[in-house]
Amino acid sequence: MTFFTIIVRGLQRRPVRTGLTLVGISIGIAAVVALVGISRGFEASWATGMKVRGTDIVVSNMGSALAPKPFSATVRDRIAKLPQVADACAIYADLTSVEDASMMVVSAREWGGFSWHNLKLISGRMPHDAMEPAVVLGQTAAEVLKKKVGDPLQLETKELTVTGIVDGGAMVENGSVILSLALFQNITGNEGRINVIDIRAAPGLTEDEMKHLCEQINTTAPEARAMVAGEHLGNSQAFRFISAMSWGTSLLAVIVGVLGVMNTMLMTVFERKQEICILLAIGWKPGRVIRMILWESALLGFLGGIVGVVLGTLAVKVLETLPAIHGMLEPDFNAGLMAVAVALAVIVGVLSGLYPAWRSSRLTPSLAMQG
Amino acid sequence: MKLLLTPFCLALLAVSAHAGEPATDLAAKLGSMQQDGASLVRLKMDVRGTTKFTLQLQIKQRRTSTTTEIVYQVLWPKERAGEAVLLRKTGDQAATGAVFTPPNKVSMLDSSQMKEALLGSDLSYADGVENFFIWKQQAIVGTEMVNRVSCDILESKPGRSQRSSYSSVRTWVDRRRDVPLRIEKYLSSGQLVRRIDTTRVATNDKNQSVPANLTVSDIRHGSTTDLNGASVKHAVNFSDREFTPAGFMEVVPARSAAE
Repeated sequence: MTFFTIIVRGLQRRPVRTGLTLVGISIGIAAVVALVGISRGFEASWATGMKVRGTDIVVSNMGSALAPKPFSATVRDRIAKLPQVADACAIYADLTSVEDASMMVVSAREWGGFSWHNLKLISGRMPHDAMEPAVVLGQTAAEVLKKKVGDPLQLETKELTVTGIVDGGAMVENGSVILSLALFQNITGNEGRINVIDIRAAPGLTEDEMKHLCEQINTTAPEARAMVAGEHLGNSQAFRFISAMSWGTSLLAVIVGVLGVMNTMLMTVFERKQEICILLAIGWKPGRVIRMILWESALLGFLGGIVGVVLGTLAVKVLETLPAIHGMLEPDFNAGLMAVAVALAVIVGVLSGLYPAWRSSRLTPSLAMQG
Repeated sequence: MKLLLTPFCLALLAVSAHAGEPATDLAAKLGSMQQDGASLVRLKMDVRGTTKFTLQLQIKQRRTSTTTEIVYQVLWPKERAGEAVLLRKTGDQAATGAVFTPPNKVSMLDSSQMKEALLGSDLSYADGVENFFIWKQQAIVGTEMVNRVSCDILESKPGRSQRSSYSSVRTWVDRRRDVPLRIEKYLSSGQLVRRIDTTRVATNDKNQSVPANLTVSDIRHGSTTDLNGASVKHAVNFSDREFTPAGFMEVVPARSAAE
């Protein structure tokens, strides 16, 4: 019988208890995978949205609200005059309820601006001009709102017509209601106001030059803050809060997992006291007994991690199918996250086994005689 | 400028308080925060009674220390678009109002009709316009947890000159964030009529924490109405005409005041 066989048999001795402990760890790890995956996916999908629009720098004023705060549209012209700015597109982006959908991204874009160029028509047509009472819908937005080309869409105080369904190349774009900035400003009473500017930098700028350009923009337009595309979401207090909540909730779930494994391993040590004492009596060193307990708890953590990764991924897949959030999730389940989750589970297992292992090392061969 | 029903919610709920303040001071603070000038609110209303329906609403409000004027306008669905309710209350006088049903029907509301349902929801007209924080009797009657948050309970009762269909209103205020998390409205018999729970708190365009989503429960009928705030805009320019029976029939966007 090998050392590893002893470890596996130790776990198989009480299959129900081992199984329940595995479930405990798995739920904790599933929470980590699901919540962090959703949170990272949200950030990644915004970055992808920026990339497909060809945006290098985003100028906005992200506070604690979900949508950026508005500022004067004249900021766009001031920024566009900077030498290293190749192009600028003013946007008014809002998160609002539209008809019976609770939350939709409404993206009002400067007519003719480069932020329209990535939109590929799937059906219908683009609006004819800046003031045509028309919108185009990302394909997911069209599904959520149950709209097709030619249907009316009530946006704020105005009934508009859906003239086209588009593929924007990213989840955020496909989940958006897209229209002309001038039209949106008119129907919402926000003339002369915008809350985002997409910037295209001059070709060939290095990362440092891009950051320097952000500083220049911040000096030119103190009303808002320029960030390299993809990093801007991290500047949002709301997103940071969501991200912290994800990790906080995950941490709680992991703590529950730690306690579960610790309880199981302690019970194992108590129940196998006689066996451990005999192992000591036949020459096992206390250090080897400690390693055995730690390996058992690490194995428990590893298996819990694997099951947790699968459970977390499945849970999010199920969530994605729910009508209320269909099209709003694009989780980022990359290999790195999976590896971190499994490693976390193993660490949880080892940490949970430390105390039971220490208890086992205090046993003496003579205790085996006491039964 | 996201999701906040601030002024609207404050008519239903309350805001702000600091530990150790007497009830009258707390009520005065809540009352003054409710009277926050001209604002525009957009919200989605989901009514879940015997008949279920959803409305998108635009709410125009002008609230001063003496007068409250509110216009509710239905933006969606199409078959109800244009329906509007105008409510007005000055000082201790009884609230009055008017209801517009397209294409051209205008019905005046007198004070006896203020108990009726606002646009078919579980709110009454009075709930929209009544400010119970200016009532004569205010008392902090206890502390209780609401959704794991410790809240002070402020009890408001109308004075003799103040008309209301309720004999008392209790407000559970989260003292840390200055956000009301629950309101209960009682009849003189002591019967609970209406409960309003805050289901989501958000930050408004003034960087204040305010209720963004509410659930209104009609205890007697067992029905509920969910109010989901979409946006709020303060310092809005309204014309006087928009708050008249002639003007509240027109659905127009509100312009921000010059900055």
